Amino acid sequence: MVQAARNINLPISKDRSTRQGFGVDKVVLILVLLYLTVPLGATLIFGLSTGNGINFNTYHQVFTDPDFSQTLLLSFGLALASTFLTVLLVTPTAYWVQLRLPRARPMMDFLALVPFAVPAIVMAFGLIEVYGTNNTLINILSLGLVPLLSNEPFNVVNTPQLLVCAYVIISLPFVFRPIDNNLRAINTKVLSEAAYSLGSGWWRTFLTIIIPNILPGVISAALLTFSTVMGEFTLASLFGIYTFPIYLNGTGQNDAHKAASLTILSFILTLICVLGIILLVRIRPGSRGKEDRLDIVAAK
Amino acid sequence: MAFLELEHITKYFGQSTAVMDISLSVEQGEFLTLLGPSGCGKTTILRMVAGFEIPSAGNILLDGEDITNRSASKRPMGMVFQSYALFPHMTAEQNVAFGLTIKHTPKDVIARRCAELLELVGLGDKGHSFPHQLSGGQQQRIALARALAVEPKVLLLDEPLSALDAKVRVSLRNEIRRIQQQLKMTAIYVTHDQEEALAISDRIAVMAKGQIEQLDLPEEIYNNPRTVFAASFVGTSNHFRGVLESASEGLCQVENQTLHVLPVQNLHDGDRVLVMVRPEEVSIQSANDGADNSANGVGNHIAGVIELRTFLGPFTRFHVRVNESTTLTADVPSQQARDYYVAQHVVLSFSPNACQVLSLDKDAVELARLAEAEKV
Repeated sequence: MVQAARNINLPISKDRSTRQGFGVDKVVLILVLLYLTVPLGATLIFGLSTGNGINFNTYHQVFTDPDFSQTLLLSFGLALASTFLTVLLVTPTAYWVQLRLPRARPMMDFLALVPFAVPAIVMAFGLIEVYGTNNTLINILSLGLVPLLSNEPFNVVNTPQLLVCAYVIISLPFVFRPIDNNLRAINTKVLSEAAYSLGSGWWRTFLTIIIPNILPGVISAALLTFSTVMGEFTLASLFGIYTFPIYLNGTGQNDAHKAASLTILSFILTLICVLGIILLVRIRPGSRGKEDRLDIVAAK
Repeated sequence: MAFLELEHITKYFGQSTAVMDISLSVEQGEFLTLLGPSGCGKTTILRMVAGFEIPSAGNILLDGEDITNRSASKRPMGMVFQSYALFPHMTAEQNVAFGLTIKHTPKDVIARRCAELLELVGLGDKGHSFPHQLSGGQQQRIALARALAVEPKVLLLDEPLSALDAKVRVSLRNEIRRIQQQLKMTAIYVTHDQEEALAISDRIAVMAKGQIEQLDLPEEIYNNPRTVFAASFVGTSNHFRGVLESASEGLCQVENQTLHVLPVQNLHDGDRVLVMVRPEEVSIQSANDGADNSANGVGNHIAGVIELRTFLGPFTRFHVRVNESTTLTADVPSQQARDYYVAQHVVLSFSPNACQVLSLDKDAVELARLAEAEKV
């Protein structure tokens, strides 16, 4: 961005633009950096100070709290399961739509946006209502699936399994868009036809030709789903499942210093995930660098 | 029975007809080109042979076997695409090896075959390059090697040179022809570039509006076009629209002039006709010299004024205005073209042998317009 601004300014008047460009873009950059880092720094310092100067007491408390590891593990599991399931469902579907049903794409676009429009609270109560109460009409409409899942041995009501299903739905917009964008960018149809003509079947083409080429999209979709689920509060709270964000919220109400430490910890965790994934995309064979950007912005 | 037979193939896309009742035979080792403007159905035919589209009616037989409904992955066809369609995440060598890997070919055989094929297409040293590190021409060579790797019975090429620049286009088309002849490969080639079609093919099928207008040797297509569309689409030509005055004597009434043509067999006196003359058949003389010739009464002579002179290397092209609505084109060997200049009064001459007389019905007029609009 800064580089681009400089390039645009250069041809006008080298002297003036260099001086002016140098001043304005640096100032903007510093302001943005401050805007991003000051709250983080303040949180870090607040977490480290417990009234007796700076020390790591709160971090020690956090690590020894059994709720911390339990909820973190649960959220991690939920996030992994949701990510896995969403990507597994959406990627072949998006490929299929791109290849065989291009006319259905506007409908897919719409469906993928619905979760944005429907508040989480509506979905939570909807799910609890449908699976939690015995309603003849719903039993018939769902072809017997709802009563089967609502009772033993499955009984999914208020279980993490049902929560994962809900997470799959709320993460649809984050997953469909980047994957669909990538599919459009790589000339999916011709690549698939080339593979077919060489004797490759549908699944082999999908796994060995399409997936490696839309990996940046799949990874950013997975990353977005993972981070959304790790931080999701409303659904978990309404389902009554004790996840990490709920633990974070509870802790924040009792001990602000501890909550600050937790925030920093979860920030570091997320940072590690993001950096890891960016690194993963970079080292792919045959990657062109500039084209392999993550489609996070597009998805948002 | 021919090696590849298309029997009464029709293809509808919704309401529109892409291909209308086409029958076509391709012999083993033959290089057949489907030539036509965009939307004429040539690519649809190729895609039906490849198995990417299923015909709405008709059958496709390969070596006597009906493959009409067989999926693309189970047909012994190799396909080369306009956009190369190399797998971007694989090296050139891996691209070539892909089809062989699927067939569970032993690794040492794959390696040997890849090396052979890369050598064949002149890129023996590029095996480890990724597609984005190669030029367009090189990518298309790799795509050709990849299609040949699976030893297809028929090689299908869908406008493989369209995305390349002129120089590469010519060298690669010669290369494709050389390889096809060397391997005695049956090939179907789709293009809208008539020059390319004439240069590369054993036979050409000129197509318009989902039908084959003429299926013939390149020389025949150029010298004896059977339809107005074929005449208009292939090569440059001068057109005279008029009425056949006498079929037996070979006289056509064109505007205010009578053209001498050879006696016409299939048409009747009074039919509307199109007389076509190739520019290289038209000779040019200055008005004074021309007057003598026209007095001799040999062939056809039309007076006009040179409007445009274009030097094209071996020959020079003259656009000569003969009346308000008509300009004729004459290609003259450049050595003889030095004496002529713009605004000069000249006489254009051509013999009756040079005239092709074609029936001009309503459809033909429309197709001729289409050909002029779409021509490259």
